[in-house]
Amino acid sequence: MLKYTIRRLIGMIPMLLLISIVVFLLAKAMPGDSLSGEIDPNNTNPQYIAEMREKLGYNDPLPVQYFNWISSFVQGDFGKSTRYKMPVSDLILERLPNTVFLGVTSLVITYILAFAMGIFAGRKPYTIGDHLIGGINYLGLAIPSFIAGVFAIYIFSFNLGWTPYAGSVDIRIPQGTFDYWMSRLHHVIMPAIVLGALATASYTQFLRNDIIENSRKDFVRTARAKGTSTSKIYNVHILRNSIIPLITFLGFDIATIISGAIITETIFTYPGIGQLFLTSVTSNDYPTMMAITLLLSLLTLVGNLIADILYGVVDPRIRLD
Amino acid sequence: MVNVTAGTAKPQEKSINMSPFAIARRKFLRNKLAMISSFFLLTVIIFSFLAPYITTQDITKVNISLMSLEPGGEHVLGTDKSGRDVFTRLLYGGRISLVVGFSCTALVILFGTVVGSIAGFYGGVVDSILMRFTDFVLNFPFLVFVIVLNTILFGIVNGLYVLIGVISLLSWGGVARIVRSKILAEKENEYILAAISIGCKPSKVIIRHLLPNVLSTIIVQATILFASMIVAESALSFLGFGVPQSIPSWGNMLSASQEADVLRDKPWIWMPPAIILVITILSINFIGEGLKDAFNPKSQR
Repeated sequence: MLKYTIRRLIGMIPMLLLISIVVFLLAKAMPGDSLSGEIDPNNTNPQYIAEMREKLGYNDPLPVQYFNWISSFVQGDFGKSTRYKMPVSDLILERLPNTVFLGVTSLVITYILAFAMGIFAGRKPYTIGDHLIGGINYLGLAIPSFIAGVFAIYIFSFNLGWTPYAGSVDIRIPQGTFDYWMSRLHHVIMPAIVLGALATASYTQFLRNDIIENSRKDFVRTARAKGTSTSKIYNVHILRNSIIPLITFLGFDIATIISGAIITETIFTYPGIGQLFLTSVTSNDYPTMMAITLLLSLLTLVGNLIADILYGVVDPRIRLD
Repeated sequence: MVNVTAGTAKPQEKSINMSPFAIARRKFLRNKLAMISSFFLLTVIIFSFLAPYITTQDITKVNISLMSLEPGGEHVLGTDKSGRDVFTRLLYGGRISLVVGFSCTALVILFGTVVGSIAGFYGGVVDSILMRFTDFVLNFPFLVFVIVLNTILFGIVNGLYVLIGVISLLSWGGVARIVRSKILAEKENEYILAAISIGCKPSKVIIRHLLPNVLSTIIVQATILFASMIVAESALSFLGFGVPQSIPSWGNMLSASQEADVLRDKPWIWMPPAIILVITILSINFIGEGLKDAFNPKSQR
């Protein structure tokens, strides 16, 4: 297993290099200087641009420029934001906790909802309850997150007044108190549900089908024959077998959350990485944009890697060469 | 999944002499949900493409005096903040959304099938190179790269073509993987060996012998893709990075809901595109389910 993991990690290196090259070339294709942010894209004085280009080594050959950029990137120097006039790394660090909080809350809600619904539907298949859950799932899979988000704000924030429709926390509450965390939770709950809707639906579906399939297997019949109570069979024997494959979804969730966060954070004006990315695109803040692009690509790569490795851990029959 | 019980299973003796596609067609025609969905989708398509004959309202003209009118009277679904008729824009928007969705699906299926079938048929080095490339494309976070590429290419080429090209460029990986695995399984059959041994060219073996046998998978994939491409287009337009703002599309119309006063007080501006989008996606998904079921030889219906 360890050997497999190490091999996968080494296999990731060329992918990392390729992605960084693609991001670098995209950054070069953008107007202005999108790597260090020292040249202001809104200043069009040709003499200023020529001077800065010379100073920043823009007349060097491309491979040299790439090497300089990637070595400073690895050291955590992502350049300077042209909009906020501060290092991009500080900007990202400021927003990252919000996105992580959103992602984790979304995962927790996904797991709770999916387990409750999946176990219920799997235990009583083809009943009204199961069909109801199936219907909700179908909607969860079919409704795009931005439409779900817009409807959620319209119904729960505007008409019912249950949740706030913008921001990540009530700024009047002092930081660090219990109320502060409650306020954060209150702000994050709606975006988290919307973000997790797709994953919840697929988890529920998977759990239900797996429970139904497992309940027909021989070990369940043996347990029944020995007089084990039905609830124990379902909650211990079957559930244990059905949970394991679910673990592999975790890696894919990272990728889903990254793409989902851009949409969800924008709808709920939630100050996270996704929203920062979109504002950087609209305000021509290329250094921030490229840094986030590379960062999110790395996270997606790590997510896919985790999914692959967990797959191998869960199912020892899978040995990819 | 929603379990659909359509029609009672008739004795199967009639199907003995039927071709697989005829059996599939019969199964599909008996699936009520899929038929209702097809009917709905067809209606949406016809209405969208006949838009210029159905309404005579101008979709681009800004008219301040007709700003944000409530539904009723001359404007069936009211007007938006620039005084444009919502119903008219809905019809024209459907046209753009469907065309973008359809073109992306066609390009993705074409490219995915070509890459997948070549990789699957030749195997070996060709297969590993093509599949590593596919993995590479699949590793990009879709939304992030579509937005970045769109920003770079915007203004150089027509906005609509950029969008179609960029979405397709980043989405073909999944189709390539599925087609490859199907081809891998299919080429083990003896008739392929026979075709090769009598001297068929590889291109002929792929097109004439392999592809028809994986066609059902490709059709089902195309249906699912069509729905997700429409979602991708409208999500991007909603965020302001899709179809140019001057052209109405369902996503563009929905982006009006980002203004709090529209979202709160003028639901007639954003609700129609939202609802029609959801129903369209649902019906495409139902059609996809129906097709999958129809092509599945094990399903009893």
